[in-house]
Amino acid sequence: MIHQKLELPGIERIRTRFLELLRERQVSIAEHALTAWESDELEKINGSLASARTLLHQIAGTAGSLGFEELGQEARTVETEIDDHLNGADADLAICPGALIYHMSDFVQLCQTLTAAQPETAQSA
Amino acid sequence: MKILAVDDDPIILELLAHFIDTLTDHKVVLASCADEAIDVIQANARSPFDCFLLDIQMPGTDGITLAGKIRAMEPYTDTPILMLTAMSEKVYIDAAFTAGATDYVTKPFEMSELKARLSLVERAFDRRKASTGKIFATQAVSPEYNKVTPPINLHEPVAIYDVDNLIDFMALENYIQQLSRNDLFGSTAFAFTIRKIEEFHRTMSPFEFYSVLVDMGEIISDTLGGSQFLMAYAGNGTFICITESGWCPDTRALANSINLTAAKTELFDNQGQRIEPRVCAGEAIKLIWKTSASVMDAISAAHASAESASAAYQKNQNNVWQIGLTA
Repeated sequence: MIHQKLELPGIERIRTRFLELLRERQVSIAEHALTAWESDELEKINGSLASARTLLHQIAGTAGSLGFEELGQEARTVETEIDDHLNGADADLAICPGALIYHMSDFVQLCQTLTAAQPETAQSA
Repeated sequence: MKILAVDDDPIILELLAHFIDTLTDHKVVLASCADEAIDVIQANARSPFDCFLLDIQMPGTDGITLAGKIRAMEPYTDTPILMLTAMSEKVYIDAAFTAGATDYVTKPFEMSELKARLSLVERAFDRRKASTGKIFATQAVSPEYNKVTPPINLHEPVAIYDVDNLIDFMALENYIQQLSRNDLFGSTAFAFTIRKIEEFHRTMSPFEFYSVLVDMGEIISDTLGGSQFLMAYAGNGTFICITESGWCPDTRALANSINLTAAKTELFDNQGQRIEPRVCAGEAIKLIWKTSASVMDAISAAHASAESASAAYQKNQNNVWQIGLTA
């Protein structure tokens, strides 16, 4: 899962920081997904999806540079799905597509697998 | 170079800082949003930045708007701006270049690619610093400014500011190279050359010559105004234009419109003599199905076509004159 060729001296420190941040981001994404799924208010649904999308966008922008290519690609895929929904014909309906929630859930699980393999630092614990 | 990097993602800022510190001799200052960037720029007014790295999508003011604000600042009219973004859609690329971006790197970026881009920017920056210096486009110019306009090489691109959709030539080259094959679908390149440009260059002061380029750039931009396009001054009196959306322009009709507008616009040199710059148009060349290298060849062909048209026009004029003498 981690790109073996990435060897900028000192990059490990940033990779660790990325994983620490990923622990927080995965929780936030899960919370936004749940809110979007359980709410019946249009603003709340779309607002939660937009917030999750911002986090996915940030993960997609850095994961590949740090060797987490699969994570970055998955983040980009889910980000694009949210964009498609928010810019699509159903954007003004108070619904959150089930498929979108499943994909966000899969992404959160991928994050958990990655962060579980990385011991928490004293700072993040 | 002294670089300002702006991104709302702390990991990107850490990566950039680490990369620049580890692999280059450049110095980097970080900002996490556009407002902070403006504050940092103002705080560094005495020691300006040499390059900017801007994320496009940020909360509040986005990177494209920030690029426009930086370009509007007097010390930064031609400072390289590299857009660092995950948004590779053409609409964002176009907006970034129109706002003044010099180049574009898609996130997640490879360190080697970023290093290569920075090296290109640095070389261009050094070249520019060593040659013409800064020339500011302005209609109301003081006599003092007129005296300090540096010499302009006829055959080299000149940076022209404050003309809609007219960007730096190096930025136009980068823009074209960044477009994917899909993006090139429906794109067309064409060019206009100012006739007798050598004569203008030979007989005018650098400021007068530059003013002719600005005026003709504005007229061309206004004439193309109804369509989506980018253009740049490539040197030797030639403006290269890239348009899209399947529009293949009738370049001769456009040249006629440009020349009609130029005829109606009263242009004078510093001695109060009326000058009458006119353009010739080259062939419109479609960029569809071309590889990156052959796209650049097509741009060169559009450039050469306009200059050939100008030369042919001049030759015809001379022939008419000679025939007249004989008759």
